[in-house]
Amino acid sequence: MKKNSFYLIVGCIALALLAVFWYSVEHHIRFITEAAFIVAIVLIYLIRTKVTDFIEDERTTRITEQAAVRTFQVFWVILCAFSIGAVMQILYIPSFPQEHFTNAASRPPVILGPRLMGFFQLFLLCLMIFLYVAFRIYYARKYGDWETDEE
Amino acid sequence: MKNKIKVFRAMHDMTQEDLAQAIGVTRQTILAIEKGKYVPSLDLAFRIARTFNVTIEDVFQYEAASPITVGID
Repeated sequence: MKKNSFYLIVGCIALALLAVFWYSVEHHIRFITEAAFIVAIVLIYLIRTKVTDFIEDERTTRITEQAAVRTFQVFWVILCAFSIGAVMQILYIPSFPQEHFTNAASRPPVILGPRLMGFFQLFLLCLMIFLYVAFRIYYARKYGDWETDEE
Repeated sequence: MKNKIKVFRAMHDMTQEDLAQAIGVTRQTILAIEKGKYVPSLDLAFRIARTFNVTIEDVFQYEAASPITVGID
């Protein structure tokens, strides 16, 4: 299979995934999107093995590895900082629980509600992608990806 | 790490693309090695040297520029 055919198939899969996502949101069935996402990624990995004109050598592998490691080094700190906040929310035990049950106004505020949690997840997802792309560009430049010469 | 790949290519009348195909890497990798942007692995260095029928030392010259430091590159 040629590289261009692969990109076309990936585009089709992405469109199908978007349609599934839309259907899932409309009908509020999140498991469909989650399952579809896993199936799509597995499918893309399988199809990628059939592509014959992808040339990968040790330099491109090194660029990918370096970018992945650096992304992980930065991302885990941010993820942990966020997770610690979420854990604190779970572990919060009011001193006078009875008062909280009787008086709604005195209940502790919900800092991370499900909706806000979703936005944070989206932010983390975008951050991870942004970090990886940024590090990939940095290492590609470092290892001479955009070098030109007289030939 | 200095190298004489360009010289050996000229001697063997090979383009970067020819050498890249001979050793199974991309042309960009040959270019990066020639310009000193990327230091090849021992395996790749051997393959380059064998393509020109010379030893590794003929193609690559190691230069200890500074003491070895451990850190993020």
